[in-house]
Amino acid sequence: MKTFDAIVIGAGPGGYPCAIRLAQEGKKVAIIEKDKWGGVCLNVGCIPSKALIHASSQFNKLKHLDEMGIQTSAPKLDMEKMQAWKGGVVKQLTQGVSGLLKMNAVTAISGNAVFKDAHTLEITGASGKETITAKDIVIATGSRVVEIPILKFNGKNVLDSTQALDLKKLPKQFLVIGGGFIGLEIGMAYAKLGSKVTIVEALDQLLATVEKELVQVVEKKMRELGMTVLTSTKAVGLKEKDPAKESLLHLEVETKDGKKTLEADAILVSVGRKPNSDGLGLEKIGVKTDSRGNIPTDNQGKTNVPGVWAIGDVTGAPQLAHRATQDGLLVAANICGEKAFKDYKTVPWAVFVDPEIATAGLTEKEAKEKGIPYKVGKFPFGANGRALSTNEGHGFLKVLINEKNETVIGVHIVGPEASNLIAEATLAIEMGATAEDLVRTIHTHPTLPEAFPEAVELAFSKAIHVFKPKRG
Amino acid sequence: MDFKLPDIGEGIHEGEIVKWIVKQGEKVAADQPMVEVMTDKATVEIPSPIAGTIDTVFAKEGETIEVGKVLVVIREEGKAEAAPAPAQKTAPKAATPASREVTPIETAESKAIPFDVLATPATRKLARDLDVDISTVKGSGLHGRVTKEDVQMAASGQEAAAPRPSHTAVSSTSVVPHTFQTVPAPQRGALQTIPLRGVRKKIAEAMQHSKRTAAHFTYVEEVDMSAVVALRASVLEEAKRREVKLSYLPFIIKALIPCLQEFPYLNSSLDDEKEQIVLKGDYNIGIATDTPNGLIVPVIKNADQKNIWQLASEISVLAEKARTGKVALDDLKGGTFTITNAGSIGGVFATPVINHPEVAILGVNAIRKRPVVKGDQIAIADMMFLSLSVDHRVVDGADAARFMNRMVFFLSEPTRLVFA
Repeated sequence: MKTFDAIVIGAGPGGYPCAIRLAQEGKKVAIIEKDKWGGVCLNVGCIPSKALIHASSQFNKLKHLDEMGIQTSAPKLDMEKMQAWKGGVVKQLTQGVSGLLKMNAVTAISGNAVFKDAHTLEITGASGKETITAKDIVIATGSRVVEIPILKFNGKNVLDSTQALDLKKLPKQFLVIGGGFIGLEIGMAYAKLGSKVTIVEALDQLLATVEKELVQVVEKKMRELGMTVLTSTKAVGLKEKDPAKESLLHLEVETKDGKKTLEADAILVSVGRKPNSDGLGLEKIGVKTDSRGNIPTDNQGKTNVPGVWAIGDVTGAPQLAHRATQDGLLVAANICGEKAFKDYKTVPWAVFVDPEIATAGLTEKEAKEKGIPYKVGKFPFGANGRALSTNEGHGFLKVLINEKNETVIGVHIVGPEASNLIAEATLAIEMGATAEDLVRTIHTHPTLPEAFPEAVELAFSKAIHVFKPKRG
Repeated sequence: MDFKLPDIGEGIHEGEIVKWIVKQGEKVAADQPMVEVMTDKATVEIPSPIAGTIDTVFAKEGETIEVGKVLVVIREEGKAEAAPAPAQKTAPKAATPASREVTPIETAESKAIPFDVLATPATRKLARDLDVDISTVKGSGLHGRVTKEDVQMAASGQEAAAPRPSHTAVSSTSVVPHTFQTVPAPQRGALQTIPLRGVRKKIAEAMQHSKRTAAHFTYVEEVDMSAVVALRASVLEEAKRREVKLSYLPFIIKALIPCLQEFPYLNSSLDDEKEQIVLKGDYNIGIATDTPNGLIVPVIKNADQKNIWQLASEISVLAEKARTGKVALDDLKGGTFTITNAGSIGGVFATPVINHPEVAILGVNAIRKRPVVKGDQIAIADMMFLSLSVDHRVVDGADAARFMNRMVFFLSEPTRLVFA
């Protein structure tokens, strides 16, 4: 039986940085992966979806080059080539992960791990079973898509996000069940490539946790792309008995105005993800899970059983790769005897729709709930030189300032490069930067980040590029 | 068993580990002292509640630990080590769910950093490392920004409070005062280092902060106390009857109140952060008190509303509490002006350090019979120097002089206080 100082189960964006950091600190580390190195994020999540979204946006932009005086003949789509290019990107990154683990002398084991006791794992791999042990074990097994009984995945035309990202042929009519960020990102990408896309959402708003005024900007773009959005609508069932054999599917839905039948040649079901906490033998070692299967941890990443840690999606919301990475590094530090805590004010996040949405800190609703008095400044990208000169003057940057001490407490962006712009906002929130700090920091001209200090100035009715009459 | 830092006194939230008397792996008997823990007031020895072996020591010497945090794990005599061996020979696995006792889970939410806290991630990490709840630290920076220095000061036990001498878990506790008097001189050629901790560290930081912040100057005046001496002598019988120890301090406070009312700037504080002078409508007089553990300043609240007897008995009670380490946290708060009495020990006069953020401190010195010129005669009088240190940022020399003139006016002829 091989003995290690620490074992990490799962080589996703939480697990592999955890293992590498432990190795850097001189620990003897093993990492176990039952599927693909790099996890969902690198293989079938963040990275391939961003590649596809970028490609579809490039394709879509060609149509608008005419405005700038660039004449093109009608672009043609080679879906298989696009998928091959996307596959290349993924391969480069996943090989990078394997390489890094190797260079850091982390023992990488392919197989399925089950706890024998709190310090021992039995691994079943292609070459048989082996048992390994360590003082500390980190559960970083992530999450998987939720399947609904009326729409079982078949890999052909009822698809999960992984399969939807891998289509070799462009669907004519693409139906998305679930108006969360995965559904919208993939739906919009296919709309840009030319599919007729319909989004079905059970709640009354797409992206339920995002402030409504941000979503409205994206909805406008969706309409321009010819997409149909059905909110407060539930999928009832397919007319076809064996959908995999059919080329055209008919889905019955229940809308506010009664029943309707939607046609599609491919359906993406993206209604959420659930934690991979089953099948690990957690019951046997006494690690608790909550009613949803998430493993609760304290703010150091400890489960209720000493020596067993958990990070990332398997511990529950927010299910975000960067949160998992942060968790992984934190737990590695704690295993090495440091005293590290989850001490961040915010986990920022971005939705790669068009225009992009990104958020850090408190929403107005949350600030009100916390009883924090705040001022709002909202700067439209239509008044930002760079946004206009790249033909992307849509959306706005909204900043919330704590009236008590004038610190930045929330930033919400819908607009070009929102996913990149949110980094400065996150730093400002974590550093406790004040409104004055922001406006005294020079921002390069002409760039999108200029919107940030301008939004702050607007909170005090003083922006240069927007006129706001003083009150009273 | 997990042994947690017990409640060692009212209002005490944490203690600094001064010294481990036992080491990991050593055997301890029940009631055998394990560790010296220093609070703001005293160093206490904490005994082991059971006989056993020291398994894990959780706090290093010099570390501050909160009351209720696990200090040490003691393995009870006769009990096996609790940690699971990776491969156990006996016992079927199925029926043993958890390998060790289940620790309570606190959610990340419960200790989430509040949005109101103005501190960088690095400062927050330092606070976690030093076991300081950063949301309770008063920031010294703009808008109350908490700096690394603020956290370090908080960690060194800025908040003074009272230890309770005997209390269940620490019943056999002995108070080990660290004072200048009780430390024997090191041997010839030897160097003895004493870590700057607890009350000493708090004093060091407070004094340095005051000296660095306030623009100190000291104004000295002499006053003929003969009339006060005579007045006090005339009521000593009454004091005896009332069982009150009557010093000169109540008379000085009596004279001080009308002077402060006349010169409100001396009963104020300077809010450096907001750049505001805050004039106080209350007259809470701090009395700098020498204790075995160092200087502390209990406060007589609403001194303007108390008569001589009330002031006298309150001074006695507070001084006694201070010396025995029983002062409540509340007794140390809310001061608006401070009196320090060096005269009871000796000296001509001292130049006191202001109790920042107050702006003035009155040094009361020894009353000595001295020859003085009265009219054209040399007479013997009970003379005393008063030394007033003030923050020149708030009070100018001329005002300090006028204030002292009024003090002299009342003390030289205490009957004038009737008209005050």
